[in-house]
Amino acid sequence: MSTTDATMDSHHAEAGKAREAFRTVTRDVAWVAEAPKPHKAWLAALGVSLILLAIGLYSIYVLVTTGIGVWGNSNTVCWAWDITNFVWWIGIGHAGTLISAVLYLTRQTWRVSINRSAEAMTIFAVMCAGLFPLLHTGRPWFAWWMIPHPNDMQMWPQFRSPLMWDVFAVSTYMTTSILFWYMGMVPDLASFRDRCAARGDKLRAIIYGSLSLGWRGSARQWHRYERAYLILAGLATPLVFSVHSVVSFDFATSQLPGWHTTIFPPYFVAGAIFSGFAMVFTLLIPARHLFNLKHIIKDEHVEAACKIMLGTGMMVGLAYGTEFFIAWYSGNMFESFAFINRAFGPFWWAYFLMVSCNVLVPQAFWFKKVRRSPIIIFVLCILINVGMWFERFVIIATSLARSFLPAQWSYYTPTRYDVGLFIGTLGLFFTLFLLFFRYAPVIAISEVKGAMPEAHAGKKH
Amino acid sequence: MSDEHTPVPSSPGSGGDDLEHGGTAVRRDGRLFGVLAEYDTPGELVEAARKVRDAGFTEFDCYSPFPVHGIDEAMGIKRTILPLLIFGGGFAGTIGGLLLQWWCNAYNWPWNISGKPSWSIPANVPIAFETTILLAVFTSFFGMWILNRLPQVWHPFFRNERFNHVTDDAFLIGIEARDRRFDPVATAKLLTDAGAITVERVHLDPDPEVRQMPKWITAFIVASTAFALIPFAIAAKARTSHSAEPHIHIFPDMDFQPKYKSDQAMDLFGDGRENRGEIAGTIARGSLDADDTFYRGIEHGGDGDHWTTAFPRQIEINDQLVRRGKNRFEIYCTPCHGHDGRGMGAVPQRVAAAGGAWLARNLVDASNPVAINMPNGQLFNTISNGYNTMMGYAAQIPHADRWAIVLYVRALQRSQNAALDDVPPDQRTGMQMPEAPRP
Amino acid sequence: MSVLQKSLHPDEKYKAGKLGSGLSNIGLGIAAVFLGVSIALGAAQGDHWKRFFYAYVIGWSYIFSICVGVFWLILLHHLVRGRWATVVRRIAEAMTMAFPVVFVAGLVFVIALLAGYKDLYYWAHPDAALCLEKTATGCHEYLHPTLVHKLGWLSPEFFAGRYVVYGVLFTAMAAYFAKKSRQQDDSGDPKLSENMRVASGPAMILYSLLTCLAAFDVLMSLAPKWYSTIYGVNFWGSSCVGGFAALGLLVLGIQRTGRLTHSVSPEHYHDIGKWMFAMTFFWAYTAFSQFMLQWYGNLPEETVWYKYRLFGEWQWVSIAMLVGFFAFPFVFLMSRWTKRIVPSLVFFAVWQLVFHWLDLYWNAMPSYDWTVQQHGAAQIVVGPMTGNTAYHHVGFSPIDLTVWLGLVGVLLFGIGRNLRGNLIPVKDPTLGLSLAHENL
Repeated sequence: MSTTDATMDSHHAEAGKAREAFRTVTRDVAWVAEAPKPHKAWLAALGVSLILLAIGLYSIYVLVTTGIGVWGNSNTVCWAWDITNFVWWIGIGHAGTLISAVLYLTRQTWRVSINRSAEAMTIFAVMCAGLFPLLHTGRPWFAWWMIPHPNDMQMWPQFRSPLMWDVFAVSTYMTTSILFWYMGMVPDLASFRDRCAARGDKLRAIIYGSLSLGWRGSARQWHRYERAYLILAGLATPLVFSVHSVVSFDFATSQLPGWHTTIFPPYFVAGAIFSGFAMVFTLLIPARHLFNLKHIIKDEHVEAACKIMLGTGMMVGLAYGTEFFIAWYSGNMFESFAFINRAFGPFWWAYFLMVSCNVLVPQAFWFKKVRRSPIIIFVLCILINVGMWFERFVIIATSLARSFLPAQWSYYTPTRYDVGLFIGTLGLFFTLFLLFFRYAPVIAISEVKGAMPEAHAGKKH
Repeated sequence: MSDEHTPVPSSPGSGGDDLEHGGTAVRRDGRLFGVLAEYDTPGELVEAARKVRDAGFTEFDCYSPFPVHGIDEAMGIKRTILPLLIFGGGFAGTIGGLLLQWWCNAYNWPWNISGKPSWSIPANVPIAFETTILLAVFTSFFGMWILNRLPQVWHPFFRNERFNHVTDDAFLIGIEARDRRFDPVATAKLLTDAGAITVERVHLDPDPEVRQMPKWITAFIVASTAFALIPFAIAAKARTSHSAEPHIHIFPDMDFQPKYKSDQAMDLFGDGRENRGEIAGTIARGSLDADDTFYRGIEHGGDGDHWTTAFPRQIEINDQLVRRGKNRFEIYCTPCHGHDGRGMGAVPQRVAAAGGAWLARNLVDASNPVAINMPNGQLFNTISNGYNTMMGYAAQIPHADRWAIVLYVRALQRSQNAALDDVPPDQRTGMQMPEAPRP
Repeated sequence: MSVLQKSLHPDEKYKAGKLGSGLSNIGLGIAAVFLGVSIALGAAQGDHWKRFFYAYVIGWSYIFSICVGVFWLILLHHLVRGRWATVVRRIAEAMTMAFPVVFVAGLVFVIALLAGYKDLYYWAHPDAALCLEKTATGCHEYLHPTLVHKLGWLSPEFFAGRYVVYGVLFTAMAAYFAKKSRQQDDSGDPKLSENMRVASGPAMILYSLLTCLAAFDVLMSLAPKWYSTIYGVNFWGSSCVGGFAALGLLVLGIQRTGRLTHSVSPEHYHDIGKWMFAMTFFWAYTAFSQFMLQWYGNLPEETVWYKYRLFGEWQWVSIAMLVGFFAFPFVFLMSRWTKRIVPSLVFFAVWQLVFHWLDLYWNAMPSYDWTVQQHGAAQIVVGPMTGNTAYHHVGFSPIDLTVWLGLVGVLLFGIGRNLRGNLIPVKDPTLGLSLAHENL
C-alpha cells in the first residue's frame, strides 16, 4: 500500500511539475498583456511610432488632396518609391506566413515561439503595403472600380492585367492571413478570458470571451481545428508563393530590359522571405529581451532564422548572377546595357548598397559567433532590410530611368511626401505591432504547450 | 492559481442542492448536466478516454489546453469531412474565377488589349488560382467553426471552477447526463478507476433565464448588423437610380479651372460673349492671300481693276488640269448645271418634274453667251461667291481647283459649240453632228 | 518536438548482400541490349546520327536529373537536421554515387562534340558564325548576330571543360556525403553528422549553381538563340519530381527483396509522396512562369521557342504535359491516401518518371528540326527554331525510347555498384527518430 502511495506521490509530483510548466507558459505570455502599467520602453516606442504615423497621415492628406505631382514620379520614372515600398512591405509580410505555414508543414516545432508575432507582422505589413497601390492611383476614391460589379459605364476590370492580379492576390493574402492569425489566437484568447474571469476583470473577460467564441478546449473541436489549421497552412504556402510571384509579374510581364525576365517569380519569393525574416527578428530581438521571453524565443530559434536568412540571401545572389549571365548570353543589347547601367550608371550607389547588404552582409551568418550575438544580428537584419529596399528601387528606378529611348532618360529624386509616406507606414506598422504586443497573446500559448516535452507526460510508450 | 491537488475521492450520490465546492457554497443548482473528471497528465487523459469509449459512452468529450496526441483515436473520433468540403470549395473557386474572367472579358464585353485574345487562359490563371485559394480558405475557416458549433459562448461546464483551468493546465473528461449509459455513481467510479484526481458533478443553473443569451447582446448584434448594411444600401440606391444632380467632386483638383471655355457666356465684355471674333485689320497666319489674281480673279491695270481674262501665273494649263477641272465640276457643278453645262442638271429636272422652276445658267449657250463672254476672273468670282440662288463654293473648293473648273468650263463651252472643222482630221470618221441642239 | 524513438528491429535485414551486384548486372544487361539496338537504329536513321544524339542528350539529362533530384534530399536533410529521411538516406546516397557513371556515359556526346560533330548543337555548326557580308576589318552582317558573341562560351572545348568540372564536382560532393555517412556506421560519431551538416551549406550553393549551369549548357543551348533565366530552376524542379519518384520505387523494390521491411513504413512513403506532390507543383509553377511571361511579353526572340511547342503536332505533347505531369498527379497526390497506399504510390511514381522524361523530351526534341535556306548561291543550314511550324513533326521514333531505356540501364548499373554493406545508416543518431516517424 505504501509503495503505491509513494509511487502515486512521486507520480503526482512529476505531473505537478509538468502542469507548473504549462502554467508558466500561460503566465509568462499573459503577463505582457496583463501588466497594469505598460513597460516604459513600450510607451516610448509607441510615442515614436505615433509621431511617424502622424507624418504619414499628413503626407497622405497632401497627396490625396493635391495629386501625384507632389511625388517625385515623372513620365520616365513613373514608378518609384510607391511601388518599391509596396513590394518591400509585401515581402516583409511573407516571412510571417512562412513561419506559420511552411515551418508547420515541415514540422519545425521551434516555430511555435515566434509564429503568432510573425503572423501579426504579416497582417500589419500587408496593410502598409496595400496603401501604396491604393494611393498611387491618384484618385483612390475610385479604387472600388477594380471590383467587378455592374455599372453604368458598362465596363469590367481588365483581368488580363497583372495589376488586377495584384488586387486579387493581395486581398486574398490579407484575408487568409487575418483568418489564419485569428484562428490561431482563439484558444489563447480563451486562456486570457479565463484568467480575466478568475481575476474578476469583467470587461476584459467579456471582450476576450466574445473574441474566443466560447472555446473550451474540447477534443472533438480540437480535431477539426487541427485539420483546418493543417489545411490552411497547406493553402497558405502556395498562396505565399503566388502573391509575391504575382507582384513580380507586375514587372516581368512588361518588355522593359531588367524587368522582363522569367526568374522573377521565385527570385522575388526568396527575396521576400529573406527580408521578412530580417524584419521579424528586428522586432523580436529587442522584444524578447525587454519582455523576458528569452526562454520561449530561444537562442536556437534566432540561430535557425539566421541560417534561413543566409539561405534565402544566397538564392537572391544566385538570381542576380543568373540574370547578369543571361543578359550577356542573350545578345540583346538593351538587356546587357540595363545591367551595366545598374552597376555603373547614375544609380550605381543604390546598386552598391543592394549588393553589399543582400549578398555580402548575410555571409556573416556563416559564423556561429555572429549567429549567437543578438546585437550583431539586430544590426545585420536592419541592413538586410535596407538592402532589399534598394533591390526593389534598383529594379524599378534604374530600368525606367534608362529605357529604350535615350531622349526619355532622366534621373529621379524623391520628394518629402515620398519619404513622409514611407516613414508613415513604418509608424503604422510599429504602432499596430506595439498594440498587438500589449493586448493580444503574442506567443501561441497552446502551440507552445503542445510542443513541450511535458505534453507527452504520462504516455505509455 | 498554482494550488497543489491532493487526490480527493469522489463524493457518493449527494443529490443536487448546496454542494460544498472548494470552500465556497454554490447557489441552489438545477438539473444534473454531467460529471467532470480531472486527470494529472495528458497520457492519463488518453487512457481514461479510451476506457470511457470502451464502456460505450458517446456523449462525452475531453478538454485540454492543447490538442493531445493520440486522443482522437482513443476517443474514437471519426475523421472530419472538412477536407472534402475544402476541396469542393477550392474547386468552386477555380471554376468561379475562370467563369468571372471569361464572362467579363471574353463574352460580355470583349476588348482588345495589346492584341491578347479575349479569352486568354495564361493571363487568367493567376486570378483563378487566387480565387481557388480564397474560397478554400473561407470553407476551411467558416466550415471549421460551423462544424464545431462555435461561437457558443456558454457551456454548462463553465460553471465548474476546475473547468476554467482547461485553457491553462487542466486535463478533463466530461460525460453528459443525457448519455444512455450515464449513472451518477457508476460513471463517477469508472472515471476514478481510470485515474481521476477529482470527479465533480456539474448542474445547470436552476433559472432558465440565465441560460439564455442576454437580450441586450442579441439587440446589439441585430442593430450593428443593420447599421453595417446602411452604407451598402446607400450605394445600391445610388447605383440603381438616376439623379439630375451634378457629380460630387470629393477632391476637385483640376475639375473646376479658372478659365472660360469656347462660346461661354461672360460678363466682362459688353456683348456678354467669351468669343471675341476677329480683330479688325488682322489676318490669320497663312490667310493673307495677297495675290488678287489668283485668289480673287482680279487684275490691277493702269485703268483700274478688272476681271482677269487669262489664268493666273500659278496655274499651268495642261491636260491634267482639265481633267482635274472635270472631276471637280462633276462633283460640285453638275447637280444644277448638268454634265453638259446647259443648266438642266438633276436639281432643275426634279424641280420641273414637281411643277416648279429652278433656273441654272446655261454655261455653253452661244445664242445667249453670258457665260461665254464672262472673263475667267468673273467666272472664278461666281464660283467663289455665288450668284442669286447659287451659293458660293469658296469654303468647299480650294482656289486652284476653282481655276481648274474655270478651265473645264471653257473646254465645255468649246466642245458644246464646236463645228466639225474643230475636230482633228484623224478623229472625224464615225462622228455625227447632232440634228438639233439638245435641250 | 516528438521524443518518440524506435530502435532498429532485431530481425531487420539491412545488409545489401548480393542486391547491389544483382541490380548492376541487370542495369548493365539493359544498357547493353538497348544501347546496342539504339546504335543500330541510329545508323539506320540516315540523318548522320542526329536523332541518336538528340535522344542520347535527352536520356542523359534524364539520368543526370534523377541523381540531381535525389541529391537535393540528402543536402536538405543534413542542412536542417532532418529526421524522417534517415532510413532512406543510404539508398539515396547510393543513387547519387551514380554520378561518375552518369558523367562517363555522357562523354559519348561530349567527345562527339570535341571530335567536330556539328548536328547536335547548332553552336558547334560552322554556319553559326557565318558572316554574310565581310568587310576589310571584320564582319558587317552576321547570319546570327545574337549568337556570334557567345560562341566562345558555347564552343565544344569550353563546353567539354565545363562538363568535366560538373562531373568532378558533383561526384566529389556526392562522395563526401556518402563517405561520411558510411564512416558513421562504424563509429556512430555524432561529429560526423555535424561535419555533414556544416558541409551541406556550401554544398547546396555549389549544387544550385552547377545544376543551373548544366541545364543551360546541355538543354537550353539546344536552342542557342533562346534564353530563360528560370530554366535551371525549372529543370531542378522536374529533376526533383523524378528523383523522389525514383527513390520511392527503389526503396520499394528493395523492400520486395525482404530487406528493410520493418524500417521503412507508409509514413516514409507518405513523405516521399509529399515531396513528389510539392515538386510537381513547383515544376508547374516554374514552367508556368516561364511560359506566361514569355507569352505575355510577346518578344519574338522568346516566343519562337513556345511557338514550336504550342502549334502543330507538338501542341498535343504540351497538353499531355499539362494534364499528365501536373494536373492529374497534383489532384490525386493531394490526398494522404494516395501517398500511403503502396500500389497507388507506385502508380504515381512510375507515372511521374515517364512524364519527367516527356518533360525533357518536350524541352529538347523540338530543336531537332533544322532548315536549309538559300543565301545567294550558298545553301546554309539554319539552326533550330527557324523553320515553319506547320512542318514541325513530333515524330516519335523508337530510338527515343531505346536510348532512354539504355541509359536508365546505365543508371541502374551505377546505383547497383553502390548498394553495398548497410542499407541503413545504422549508427546515425537520428535513426531512432526516423524509424518512429509519424505523420499527422
